[in-house]
Amino acid sequence: MRTPRTLEVWKLGTVNYLKSLKLQDKLVSERKANRIPDTLLSLQHPPTYTLGKRRTDHNLLIPEAELKSIGAELHYTQRGGDITFHGPHQAILYPILSLRSIGFGARSYVEALERSMIEFSSLYGVKARAGNKCETGVWVGDRKIGAIGVRISSGITCHGLAFNIDPDMKYFEHIVPCGIADKEVTSLRRETDAQLPSEEVIHEQLVTCLAKVFSYDDVVVKEDPSVILNILEDDD
Amino acid sequence: MAARFLWASRVASHLRISIAQRGFASVVLKDLKYAESHEWVKIDGNKATFGITDHAQDHLGDVVYVELPDLGRSVSQGESFGAVESVKATSDINSPVSGKVVEVNEVLSESPGLVSSFDSWKVLAHVKDLNFEKLDVTVNTSPYEDGWIIKVELSDAEEAKKLMDSDKYSKFCEEEDAKH
Repeated sequence: MRTPRTLEVWKLGTVNYLKSLKLQDKLVSERKANRIPDTLLSLQHPPTYTLGKRRTDHNLLIPEAELKSIGAELHYTQRGGDITFHGPHQAILYPILSLRSIGFGARSYVEALERSMIEFSSLYGVKARAGNKCETGVWVGDRKIGAIGVRISSGITCHGLAFNIDPDMKYFEHIVPCGIADKEVTSLRRETDAQLPSEEVIHEQLVTCLAKVFSYDDVVVKEDPSVILNILEDDD
Repeated sequence: MAARFLWASRVASHLRISIAQRGFASVVLKDLKYAESHEWVKIDGNKATFGITDHAQDHLGDVVYVELPDLGRSVSQGESFGAVESVKATSDINSPVSGKVVEVNEVLSESPGLVSSFDSWKVLAHVKDLNFEKLDVTVNTSPYEDGWIIKVELSDAEEAKKLMDSDKYSKFCEEEDAKH
């Protein structure tokens, strides 16, 4: 009889990107030391462009100086993947998991993140699929609805996935999203005529799909973000 | 699988080491030492060569980028010294032993696209006795041979004792895979 596995979920609302990076760094060390269980952050970001380890900034189509004028920030990160945009009405999940305890490698982990988004899309009758080789992510036809960019250090994951609910698509025009030039970006709003519930409900559904795909027995939702965000204040 | 075993036996005879008999799953070479984070080490006097194991590259997927450390940099046992990217995931590579970096496999940094491309070809003069005239130099297709990542000068030869031998490592991989 295997030990029941618990996922602790923090619902954080809108969080500044740098703050979320600091938080993840802290949680990764806590997870590595086994002081916390597998943890999932559910949040959104203000308009933010991010780059991965390969620093593919040739895929940013406007000068960095202009980003401020459109109300966006730019950050370089250690995650895999190319350039992407995060912003309001895009659901972000950052799983801080110990891959070794679930016997996953990078490939199977990313595939499970894809399956989580595909499962979630099906709740709205949207037939999504995993990307082809070199096109990791979740697609509806030739349109990308969900992006993935992950970092794994000492077997602990951070960063994660971004699913477009109804973001302002104009922001995507300033980049070659994920470095793929000839494909569109789409959103749940664009792919379904169904009435969408509140974003809070949508985030919960996405979390539930992930917990199911990763076979967690228990999901514990922590609703007081000030507790976890205060962890950061203590360090400052 | 048969093709991989054939490749492994050719690599082994070239390296003059014997391979563990495995009916399935990843290739593990005897005479190498292994870390729990799936790096292999070949120790030669006070020099060590390392890379990632077949198990690691199989679980990573196609490697599209390898971040290499600078020459002369110190590495510590168990600490990260570089990273590989595959399927939009960057995975840290940890050093199985401590030492100073004396050589890095430049081929991996010059041609990151070659690292996983099964369609690419490269002539390897120094392995002509393997009868592989054209071969990918990749972390995926050649994790123990041409996909080596760095060489270091050891700072503490005793550290290698903390690593696993091939039998222990094979068991370790089986236990990890069974968790799934």
